Amino acid sequence: MAKTVLIVDDHPSFRASARRMLEADGYDVIEEAEDGAAALAAVQRLCPDLVLLDVRLPDLDGFEVARRLLGASGPTPQIVLVSSHDSTDLGDAIGATGARGFVPKSELSAEAISSLIR
Amino acid sequence: MTSLRRRQIAVAVLAFVTGIGVLVVMINGRHNNHRGAYAALALGIGWGFIGTGLYVWGRRPKNNIGLLMIAVGFSGFLKSLAFSNNSVVFAISSIGEVLIYALLVHLLLSFPTGRLESRLDRILVAITYFNTIVLQLAAFVFTGPAKAGCPRCPANPLLINQSEAATVINTAQVDIAVALLGAVVAVLYRHWRGSTPSQARAFTPILAVGSLTFVLLMTSLIAEQANLSSQINDALTLALFGSIACLPFAFLLGLLRSRFNPAEAINSLVAQVGGGGGRGALRNALAAALGDPTLEVAYWVPDQGAYVDAEGRPIRIDPAPEGKIATGIEHEGRRVAAIVHDAGLAEQQELVQTVGAAAALTLENERLDAELRASVAELRASRARIVQAGDEQRRRIERDLHDGAQQRLMALGINLRLLRDQIKRDPQDAIELLDASLQELSEATGELRELARGIHPAVLNDRGLQAALNALARRSPVPVEVVETPCDRLPASIESAVYFVVAEALTNAARYATAQSVTVSVVRRHAQVEIDVTDDGVGGGADPQQGSGLRGLHDRIAALDGHLDLASAASKGTTLRARIPCG
Repeated sequence: MAKTVLIVDDHPSFRASARRMLEADGYDVIEEAEDGAAALAAVQRLCPDLVLLDVRLPDLDGFEVARRLLGASGPTPQIVLVSSHDSTDLGDAIGATGARGFVPKSELSAEAISSLIR
Repeated sequence: MTSLRRRQIAVAVLAFVTGIGVLVVMINGRHNNHRGAYAALALGIGWGFIGTGLYVWGRRPKNNIGLLMIAVGFSGFLKSLAFSNNSVVFAISSIGEVLIYALLVHLLLSFPTGRLESRLDRILVAITYFNTIVLQLAAFVFTGPAKAGCPRCPANPLLINQSEAATVINTAQVDIAVALLGAVVAVLYRHWRGSTPSQARAFTPILAVGSLTFVLLMTSLIAEQANLSSQINDALTLALFGSIACLPFAFLLGLLRSRFNPAEAINSLVAQVGGGGGRGALRNALAAALGDPTLEVAYWVPDQGAYVDAEGRPIRIDPAPEGKIATGIEHEGRRVAAIVHDAGLAEQQELVQTVGAAAALTLENERLDAELRASVAELRASRARIVQAGDEQRRRIERDLHDGAQQRLMALGINLRLLRDQIKRDPQDAIELLDASLQELSEATGELRELARGIHPAVLNDRGLQAALNALARRSPVPVEVVETPCDRLPASIESAVYFVVAEALTNAARYATAQSVTVSVVRRHAQVEIDVTDDGVGGGADPQQGSGLRGLHDRIAALDGHLDLASAASKGTTLRARIPCG
């Protein structure tokens, strides 16, 4: 059964490309969210297997969204963080969130995501 | 002759006649001791208060203090008529004999403004009037003079019934009066503590004699209740009347202490200014000359259209701080400074003006220093704003790049990677993906071009100001007519400033002014470049000092020694005008 995915990013062009890429690789993109608050609500409502989460969002940052999602009671989604910055700009913050991993947007591919999740 | 003058003369004549009448009545009274001493004190109190009151009334016609003093004087005469052998005059005087104390309380509590400023003051005065009028009348109708310890006093024509009620009411009156007087002395002390320096100078002798009067009155009332010997009571009463008689002179002394002789003030000023002392010496000299240690000097800076202090910092004098008044000082017809002084000096404007005029030349020199400091301070602030604006611009560019072209290029990268896999597997799908990618590429290029133009328009370098302004006009959503531009190239820094002034004005016209059309004129004449951008929008726009866009332009133009101003009255459109020297 295909893994369900929530894409969280405030740029529509990026969301569209990411959706196309994931769906081509067999993922089921069930929702897109453009900010942190919408992401939290969507996860509570839809319980996706995977959240592809941008670090820079207009309200909460992606780290905070990840902390809240993983700190919630009940089943929690796997989270992969993405950003236009590379990992050297973000430092230890990625590991501290408990996310499965981080992929720079410039290197984003279905294989890169699959290698990080169970 | 003014109507005030006529009324003053009428009151003076009435006071003189009343005083003589009272003197006659007192000398002929058969039922009092110490008639001579009392008569002298009665005339001293009556004429003293009325004379001083007339003087104060003439100086400050809108202030009630003068009228209250006159009322105290006449109430003193009324009290003295209790010496009369005539029963009607005696009765009227007996009813009104303590009114003088209520008027004294009213007078002292309303000094120096003539108004009862606090609720507590009004309550104290109201109770005092009630005690001295209503309770006095109530007690009198139950008091027969013969049985009240004055067998030779005339009969009471208003007597209803000789009753113990009179004793009860009198006791209540005395208790109320003692408590009230204690409270009044405390409140007067509080007034003195809270007064401004020039008020305090006037207030000190009045407070001293007034408080002494009220303390003597309290002692006298307590002694009367204690049934002490008549000698002690007489001595206390004479001391009390003596103290009341001194009060007008305390008022006169207070007035003299609050006034300055212009010649002395100027001597003091010249001596202190001549002694040097650097910055602040003139302020100190003016403060000493006008007797106001809280005095401040505000210097006029014409370029800023505002006042600054000696350090060049902006200072607001309109409205003046509470309890202060600003008096403008001119030198050779030009505004130089304003002396911000105690409101207590308001009635001595002539003195302030005279002292200010004597100091005008020194004020002009200090004004130039202050103006220089203000310019340096403005330069520092403008430099800080330019650095801040640079940081802000870099942040904006980073944000624009991140949110725009960078995201599109990221998406393009994902699409191309996907395309690599799809191209053999599903060629039709690959074509659609390629089209989407080309669209992303086109939009990323457009956004990068727009961003680069915002940093610096290439067309300005390559083709000059006219082409750059025409390009701005074509892109503007509001129709723009570029009516005039210089034929020759201007220095690059000026062309750049002109371009951004016009760009900001066009942005504002489209975004805020709801304009239908805009005209742009750039003319080089009289060794300067004149830029005028006028729209026909709603007007009432921003101040160039406010709002980051206009403030940034203001700094950019100021850095070229030019200036920027905005004419924007409601419903009359907006004109952004800049003038930049260009030799």
